[in-house]
Order: sequence, then C-alpha cells, then structure tokens
Amino acid sequence: MSNAEVLSKLEQIVGKDFASNNQEDLFIYSQDPGVSHPRPVDYVVMPETVEEVQQIVRFANDKKIPIVPMGGGMTLSGLVIPIKGGIVLDMKRMDKIIEINETSRYALIEAGVTSGKLIAHLREKYPDLQAPYPDAPPSITIAGNALIHGSGYLSQKYGDHGAMINSLEVVLPNGEVCKVGSCAISNYWFTRGPIPDLVGLFTSAFGTMGIVTKISIKLFPKPKLRDIVIGLIKELNTIPGLILNLTKTDIPEDLMIALAEKPDFMKGYAILLLYITGDSQDELDSKTKILKKIYRKNKARFMKLPPRYYDVFLEQPQFAAKAADFRKGGGFEYVGSFMPLGKIPEAIEKARDISLKYGIVPTQVSRIIGRGHNVMFAASYSFNRADPEDMERARNALHETNKMVLELGGIPWKAERDGQKLIIEKMDPNYKMLFKTIRNILDPNGIMNPGNWEV
Amino acid sequence: MTINVKQDWKDIVHRCFRCGYCKFTFEYSDFNCPSYKKHRFETYSTGGRMWLIYGIINGDLQWSQNLANVLYSCSTCGNCMENCRFDKFNDFLVDIIEAARAEAVKNGFCPEKQKALLERTTNTEMFNPYGEPNSDNEELKKKYNLPDKAEWVYFIGCTSNYRQKNLRDATLRFLKKINLDFTLIDEHCCTSPIIRTGQIEPVKEFMNYNIDKIKEVGATKVITSCAGCCRTLKVDFAKQGVNHDLEIYHTSELVKRFLDEGKIMFTSEFNKTVTYHDPCHIGRHMGLYEEPRDVYKQIPGIKFVEMGRNRENAWCCGAGGGVKIGYPDWAVEISKERLEEAKETGATILSSTCPFCRTNLSDANDKFNLGLEVIDLIEILDQLEIKVNE
Ligand SMILES: Cc1cc2nc3c(=O)[nH]c(=O)nc-3n(C[C@H](O)[C@H](O)[C@H](O)COP(=O)(O)OP(=O)(O)OC[C@H]3O[C@@H](n4cnc5c(N)ncnc54)[C@H](O)[C@@H]3O)c2cc1C
Ligand code: SF4
Ligand code: SF4
Repeated sequence: MSNAEVLSKLEQIVGKDFASNNQEDLFIYSQDPGVSHPRPVDYVVMPETVEEVQQIVRFANDKKIPIVPMGGGMTLSGLVIPIKGGIVLDMKRMDKIIEINETSRYALIEAGVTSGKLIAHLREKYPDLQAPYPDAPPSITIAGNALIHGSGYLSQKYGDHGAMINSLEVVLPNGEVCKVGSCAISNYWFTRGPIPDLVGLFTSAFGTMGIVTKISIKLFPKPKLRDIVIGLIKELNTIPGLILNLTKTDIPEDLMIALAEKPDFMKGYAILLLYITGDSQDELDSKTKILKKIYRKNKARFMKLPPRYYDVFLEQPQFAAKAADFRKGGGFEYVGSFMPLGKIPEAIEKARDISLKYGIVPTQVSRIIGRGHNVMFAASYSFNRADPEDMERARNALHETNKMVLELGGIPWKAERDGQKLIIEKMDPNYKMLFKTIRNILDPNGIMNPGNWEV
Repeated sequence: MTINVKQDWKDIVHRCFRCGYCKFTFEYSDFNCPSYKKHRFETYSTGGRMWLIYGIINGDLQWSQNLANVLYSCSTCGNCMENCRFDKFNDFLVDIIEAARAEAVKNGFCPEKQKALLERTTNTEMFNPYGEPNSDNEELKKKYNLPDKAEWVYFIGCTSNYRQKNLRDATLRFLKKINLDFTLIDEHCCTSPIIRTGQIEPVKEFMNYNIDKIKEVGATKVITSCAGCCRTLKVDFAKQGVNHDLEIYHTSELVKRFLDEGKIMFTSEFNKTVTYHDPCHIGRHMGLYEEPRDVYKQIPGIKFVEMGRNRENAWCCGAGGGVKIGYPDWAVEISKERLEEAKETGATILSSTCPFCRTNLSDANDKFNLGLEVIDLIEILDQLEIKVNE
C-alpha cells in the first residue's frame, strides 16, 4: 500500500483534518523535549472516539504498521518517538471528563484529558476533591502519567499514580475493546479487584499492550490549607532514619528531598520539602510543632521558607519545567528511578559526582512514595538545545545514571530505549519469558510501539 | 518588550521547551491559543511553531507552503506570551513568529491571500489593504468643519474609513461634541496588516509619510479609534526605528483622561447590559485593560459584566495576524466562541474598542445568528448626552 493510500484510509477514519503526513507534523512528532535523537514518523493521527481508535488499530494490524500512543509526550525519555516508524496516535482529542463520582471518589475520563483540564474542572466544580497530578506541565495527560507509574504530591500518602488506577478501557492490538478492573463487571469504575488484576498489564508497558481509551483514577479529599515545613539536612546518611520517623506520623502529605544550587538557601544542603495540609491554622501549627521536634532529634534543622518563595514552593503542580531554562537552552531530562529508601544517601552522592563529571550543576529530587516503601529518585540534567556537545554530555550523564541506579538496586523509571536495555539485562529470564509470551499473544504482528521492552 | 528587527531572535528560539503552558488560560480552564484549539496537532501550538522555526534556522527543515501556512495560522493574539512561563523569552513569542513570517516572505512563501494585502496597500491609488480608492479625507473635513491646522489628528485607520464607517462617524461626532481641536490627514495605511504578515519591506516609507502628514498640520497628538493602528503607532514605529515625538492616544484613553479631568460628563443613561471584549492589540500587546473598563463603568444606567476570560486572559476575536483574510471561515469560528461566552454573561451588547474586532465579531454574529448587538465603545458614547466643561 502506498503512503498516499495509507493516509487516505486514515483520513477516512478520523477526517481529513486529523491525519497527516506533512513534513511539519512529522518533524514535530519525531522529537520530544528531552535529549533523544529524532526518529522518523510516518503519520500523525488524532482520533476522537473509541470506534475510531478501533478502526485505526485494525487497519494498522492488517497492514503491520506500528502505532505509538501519545498523551502529552512529556516523559522526556523519547517514549512517544517511534523506534520503528509508523503512526503516532495523539490521544488528546479524546478529552471528555465522563463522570466525577463524589461518593466513590473517582474520575472517569477519556485518555486524552490533560492534567490542566482535570485540575480546572475539579477546582471549579468539586473544590473539595483533588486528583493525583505530577509536577509536570498542564499539557500532560492523566492517563499517560498514571500508565507510567507517575508520582506527585499525593504519593507519599497514597502511593504512585499507577496504584491509583481503578479501571481501564483498552483497545487491544486486534482492535477489540476490553474493560479491565471493576468496570468489567459493574457500572462503577471504583476498584481493580476482586478479580485477577489485569490493569498491571498496561502500566509501564509504554503502549506495547494496547491503547487505553478510558481511565478511572482515584480522587482524594482536598484539605483547605497547605503549608511547607522545610528541613535542612547536613548529613546525608541521616535521611532514611529521618524519613522513617516522619512517616511514622500521619502528618506529611508530600515529602521530597531536593538538592539544588538555587535558590541560594538550598546550596550545600539536602533540603527536606515537607508539605502539610489541614482545615485550620491550629491544625497546621500543631503539625509543624511535632515535625520540628522530629527534625531536631534527627539532626535536621527547621527553616522558615523566605516569604518570597512561598508562591514558588506552594504552587500546585509546581513549575518543575523551569529546569529547562537553567542553561537558557530549552532542555532538561532526568533519570527518574524507583529506589529503596536505604540507598538514597548513596544515590545522591553518586548522581552528584556524575553531574560534576559532566560539568552540569547537580539538581536532584527524591519523592517519598507510600511512607517510604519506595522513593522516586530523580537526577536532572539541563542542556542547551542549540549546543550538540552539551546535549551529548547530558545523554552520557543520563546513561551513567541509569547504570548507577541499577547497581544500587533501583530501577530506572519511564526508561528510554537504552535504559530499557540495561533493565532487561538484569531481568529475571522467566519474567522476560512471561512478558514475551503475553505480548506475542496480544500483539502477534508486533505493531504496538515496537522497539520498546524488546525482551 | 519587543524585539526590534535587528535583534537576533534566532539566538533565542531554541529556548522553547515545548512544554505547552502557552496553550492554556491562566487557570487551565480552556485552551487559549486559537490555532492549537482548532488544529490540535502539536505543530500548531506556540511550541510547535517555535520548534519549526528553529528547524528552519538550523537547516533541519526546508521552507514549504504548508510550513508557511502553519506560521500564518496564528492570529498574533499574544495569549502565549501571557502563559509561557519562561521570562525574557515569553515577551518575544509573537515577535519571533512575525520575524519568521518575514523570512517566509523573503523566501517566496507568503500565502497568496496575505500577499494581496501588500499589493493593495502599496497600490498608489489605494494605500489601504481593502483595495478601496484612497480617501484623502477632504470630504470628511468639510462635512465636520475641521481646520487645516490643529493640536490633534484623528488617525481614522483603514478599517474604520473603508469598512466601519459607523464607528468612524461616531468618533468624529464624539470628538466634535467634546470640542477637541483636531483635524484629519490624507493618511496611508498604518502598516499593521503588512507588519503582522511579515511583509515589512515598505513599512518605513509608510510610517515616515504618515508622520510627515501629521506634522504638516501642526499636530503633536494623535488619536486612534483602532487598536491595530494604536499599537502600530505606539510600538511598531519605534521597533522599526522610526522615532517620533507624537503623543498617541487610543479613544478609550482620551475619554478616560477627559472624564478624570472633569472636562466631560455623561448626562444621559444607557440602560443595557454590556460586556467588553479586550482587543489583543491594545490589551495584551499594550496593557490597556482598565482604561476602557473605567469608561464603560462611568456610563449612567449601564450594567457592565465581565466574560470568564478577560483582560490578559481574553479569548481573541480571530481577526488579527492576517487570519481574517487568510482563513475567513476559521476567523469567524473564533469569534463565535467569543460571542457565546458573551451570551453566557447575560449581556445583550458585546462591545469592543477596535473596528477590526467589531467586523469579525459582527460577521460571526450574523453568520451564526447569535442575536447579540456588536458595537464599539465610541458608538455607545455617541448615543449619550455629554456635558462639556470648558
Ligand atoms: C517539567 C516536568 C516535570 C515532571 N514532573 C513529574 C512528576 O512530578 N511526576 C511524574 O510522575 N512525572 C513527571 N514528569 C514526567 C512526565 O511528564 C509525566 O509523567 C507525564 O505525566 C507523562 O504523561 P504524558 O501524557 O506526557 O505521557 P506520554 O509521554 O504521552 O506517554 C507516556 C507513555 O505512555 C504511553 N501512553 C500514553 N497514552 C497512552 C494510552 N492512551 N494508551 C496506552 N499507552 C499510552 C506512551 O506511549 C508512552 O510510552 C515531569 C515531566 C516534566 C517535563
Ligand atoms: S512557548 Fe513557552 S510555554 Fe509554550 S511550549 Fe515554548 S517554552 Fe513552553
Ligand atoms: S499568538 Fe495567539 S494564535 Fe499565535 S501562537 Fe500565540 S496564542 Fe497561538
């Protein structure tokens, strides 16, 4: 089939305006804001309905054309840049908020709903509820984030965002629609069990198992007030003990350890950014008092946040994208990883060494997930997009960080292709076999984001 | 802040992270980039445009008509400048798009319809983008009994003079009513449409001509009833290195000043519910948000209501940046959204302070049968009795 015929078929499905192989569109979708090299894309398609997704998948399966589902495309690790060409399926026209269930506290939304849209909707219509958002720009999708086990300011209390998925609607590689979670049985998209939990098939699968078209995500009560209680840590080896003591209490809502050169007060310290919430100032004050005591006992020093930084640190979600402007070069990428709490001091030291080796100012953040069961450890490398050598330095630093993470017993998160290869090298052979078997059954023609998780 | 043509915008384009803050309103309630909202491919977001432009600069992309079309599918509304979070970069987004359009023109990729703007404007029988025979405004001077020399010039602007004569006449009547010492000149296009579409070659000549004409009548102050002319005279002349010492006022600024100084007072009522559409060219491009609002609010009897998206956050009418001429159907779709937003406020009048907004909003009102009254602030003032204190 010629390119023109493929395009014409895609246009028949989604309409002329939403399928393209113009050089400009292919150029834009062949790269992401991270440091990956561009890779060729053949078509960009924006479906609006589940039926359209089904038709596209059936057609692609028939013609063996790869499909890469894309939400915001903001992982930075090149996950939505096709490795083997084909169709990029930009899901953001599927942007309906279908239901906010206040009693069972979930949002049922289409896969293209951005965090910006859900934030605005809840803020306006359900101010007492909040969803799990990452500190990523508002153009990311809730589905894209949950599907990669994202994390955010509710994660210390409630776990990573993959754990907050109740149910999914998925178009499988053969074009059939499949419901997983409680929605497979009930009209309520309120839980994953108590049936065999197949949601996991689709998380951190990077679009290799199917295309999610709807997602039900847990919502949480939103307390009226929020504040930050900063701690300065001099000795890195005190971090695990401090975190365990802090999470023994029910107090921290969000808990991060940051290492950065800016603002000035952060230089030379590991900074504990601990967020508390409550419904009255008294409640916040008494929580702060308890926290200060724990800080003292664990050799951390309380610091009052200078008022001029209030807006910066209390913005929700935070403007983390500012890292892209550190070198006035429009780019940064980070190795995020899931890391055991006990290894955080070592990870911080080692990532700092890697940064210095490559002449990049050390910038790291560790976000506690689920009371210390896991830590999302991220080492970030800013680069100047206009300087190829600078980009190469960042690539090398990222690769070295991936290796370091695996050596410490952590696992790179939302890993790019090379990171995935490092993970696969360490993977239990039977895990690989199981994964491969399932994938071959679901996608015998290998059309779903091929090149990812090549076990 | 603006980039002047000499400043190298090519050195900063790569700072765009393609993060997409610029697509949204402040509170993320909606997309605020008309172009992204329509096309939905990332290509048509501001970030997409920045990356395309950078692709051209570093040789990864070649000019094509399609590529030029993406750059021209932008109403230069400036919403992205308000919502991009990167300081000292966000100020330049529209300048960069306009500079890239100038490159498109140089490389022979200006779309045909936009090209026609230049052809008509530089036609010595016309000097306006509408292709009308040039009016030297002598008839109007006679009709309104205007002097040959005066302190003020009313720079009518092509849209008011050739398409929105109601607005022009209302302005003339108003200025007479308040006894302003003003006159008219044989004006040529202010050059806004050709600057916005990157056709900058003849711009300085036009600017110098208009300045000379204003000076010839002894005026030191200029009043414009068009947001586009106002921005061009105030901002673009300087950017192009055409400096002048004239004071430039938008009508809303002049009225506000006269009200504040007690020189005029509205003495009759206007008992209607009115909402205000901020024109991009005096709003985001110049920060004139409160002046028009202050004037509306001083009109006795008026019920003034705000749309959800207002001031820096206002949705564009869709006419600017060559979109009205290049993509007329889409332009009115953009206005339709604004009219629907206006209706939600309960207003019966959607008022603006720009003849070009008025044109596009009226076109959409008629086309989609939305039943609002679309009029300029000055047309409301024209209906009032005004007490003038000398
Ligand atoms: C400045 C910045 C800050 C960030 N902060 C955080 C943070 O605090 N926490 C965090 O978790 N992340 C963070 N991130 C990382 C990332 O942006 C987010 O995780 C983001 O939510 C990913 O969502 P997306 O819509 O961009 O996904 P995409 O990049 O579009 O997709 C992610 C993966 O999921 C697949 N996918 C997408 N949609 C579907 C679908 N419908 N069906 C099947 N597969 C699909 C894609 O193929 C891809 O493999 C940050 C990124 C940036 C740039
Ligand atoms: S213009 Fe600004 S907000 Fe928009 S994508 Fe670029 S950097 Fe982000
Ligand atoms: S100026 Fe307006 S239309 Fe143009 S890119 Fe910016 S927001 Fe979009």
